[in-house]
Amino acid sequence: MMEKTPIIEVQHITKRFKGLTAVKDVSFTIREGGITGMIGPNGAGKSTTFNMICGYYPPTEGKIFFRGQDITNKKAHEYTNMKIARTFQIMKPLKNLSVLENVVASCYFGHAAAKNNREARERAMEILQFTGLYEKRHVLSKDMGTPDQKRLEMARALATKPELLFLDENMAGLNPAETEDAIRLIREINASGVTIFLIEHIMKAVVSLCEEVIVLHHGEKIAEGTPEQVMNDPYVMEVYLGKKEAPHAQSN
Amino acid sequence: MNEKYVKAVRRYHRNLTFALGVILLIFILIPLFVKSPYILNIFILVFYMSTLSMAWNLLGGMTGQNSLGHAAYMGLGAYVSCMLITKAHINPWLSALLCMVVVGLVAGVIFFPCFILRGPYFTLVSIAFGEALRQFIINSTFFGRASGIGLPFKKGNSFLDVRFTSKVPYYYIGFVMLILVYLFMKKIERSRMGYALRTIREDEDAAAAIGINPIRYKVMAVVVSAMVAALVGFFYASYTRYIDPELMVQAKSTESVLPAVVGGAAYVEGPLVGGLIMIPLSEFLRAKYSAILPGINMLLYAIALLAVIRFRPTGILGWYMGSKVKNFVDTVILKKPPVEWFEAVEQERSGRKEA
Repeated sequence: MMEKTPIIEVQHITKRFKGLTAVKDVSFTIREGGITGMIGPNGAGKSTTFNMICGYYPPTEGKIFFRGQDITNKKAHEYTNMKIARTFQIMKPLKNLSVLENVVASCYFGHAAAKNNREARERAMEILQFTGLYEKRHVLSKDMGTPDQKRLEMARALATKPELLFLDENMAGLNPAETEDAIRLIREINASGVTIFLIEHIMKAVVSLCEEVIVLHHGEKIAEGTPEQVMNDPYVMEVYLGKKEAPHAQSN
Repeated sequence: MNEKYVKAVRRYHRNLTFALGVILLIFILIPLFVKSPYILNIFILVFYMSTLSMAWNLLGGMTGQNSLGHAAYMGLGAYVSCMLITKAHINPWLSALLCMVVVGLVAGVIFFPCFILRGPYFTLVSIAFGEALRQFIINSTFFGRASGIGLPFKKGNSFLDVRFTSKVPYYYIGFVMLILVYLFMKKIERSRMGYALRTIREDEDAAAAIGINPIRYKVMAVVVSAMVAALVGFFYASYTRYIDPELMVQAKSTESVLPAVVGGAAYVEGPLVGGLIMIPLSEFLRAKYSAILPGINMLLYAIALLAVIRFRPTGILGWYMGSKVKNFVDTVILKKPPVEWFEAVEQERSGRKEA
């Protein structure tokens, strides 16, 4: 594997909520240009880890570096200026705005913020075409179904022109055909030069997309490596895939 | 093909400009035909209450922060400008600018800490702020205690002193204020700030995720909103020539909310529509029934309001936007082409600019 400075380096982060330790001493790196995944059973601390890296709550202990720069205490709204964007597991579309307006709003912010309405609209149109939402641009976002709202989450994140994109369970609730579309879209985004870090439940998506996988269980990292390595790890098979099941029983 | 789009879009814009021009002209001509000071007073009331409601709407409608203290900003604006005029002998127009700055600063300093917290704290503090300010003025000799302060009465009219014996000049000043504030709000809605505020209204986490600092934009909204309310306060003081602390009672703050809610808080035009309907209605009910059954006007007013909130929660404009009436107005009267045509024209135009 090629050694390069990691785009994100997480060092020994721990998060305690009062008595509960949600994440305990987790360290990993994200390779620039690749697709890295994080898996784990429900309540493993994936979203907590995610939210710490994205500045939504600071870690109790540990440090997070972005291209060598300490970003542990950066606020959530400072991330798009560092060319980092995220989506939410529970979609947060701007419900009463049209799809176009949702994306225009994003185009106005971040490191490459549009200077005027025309520029913002033009860029939003490009992104809508790229994400396949162009035909629905005048629909109110609350009137769309889950697959399109998931797409909109990505479109809004992309509109800030990130170099690193965090996807939080972007395929949960999609049927197999929609999942295929989502996988294709994520590949395209990655091919355009955006590093991707994703949390996912759907194993098929993780296996086909990720070059590296991190497995969390009870707030601790239990394995790390290529999807094949991770899937064949006996401990991972036990805690994540069920005790006696063979690795090909992967349907979530 | 494209030629057809361009023509249709141009024709629509021409029709729209014409329709707006006619409405403007009607309002400009009203004082020439309506001589009754009572009716003119109602129009002036509509103008300044709608402007105040637009100020509220920037916070309540666009940012989703419900303020119940707009009478206090308006009152403070009125007091600051009156004090500047009577004690410091500053020109009233200059005092208008100064009182906007003062009220904007006060609002920013008071509400900045509230916005660090999410939730209803802002609303609670806005109620407390209004009441505290009123109590302070009632107990302050400098501000004339409960008896209030009057602006000097002199003979004759003076534009420089914003002092007129007739209501007609106030009508025009109020109207110009309304139009300017409306254009300003429209400008904000389409700007980066407008998108930031609406994103915050929908979801603060989503706002932060795309790089909006929610606290910063909420403070900006409250400052701008308070400044516009202060401007209304200045107008009110110049018009009535007398102010007292009753100006800041809670009921007045609620009155500033009504036009926006009834008209449609999601739209910049909401307060205009709501104000034009609700304020004359309120005045009519008061004039007609308060002698026979005191308080009946408030009752009927409340029923009208409840009906709107119960049956049309998005307000009159919210109903209009999805109605057949709008469809009729757009297609038959204004001849509005489909959205795609606008986009085609827009693309054409930007393409030409780049070439």
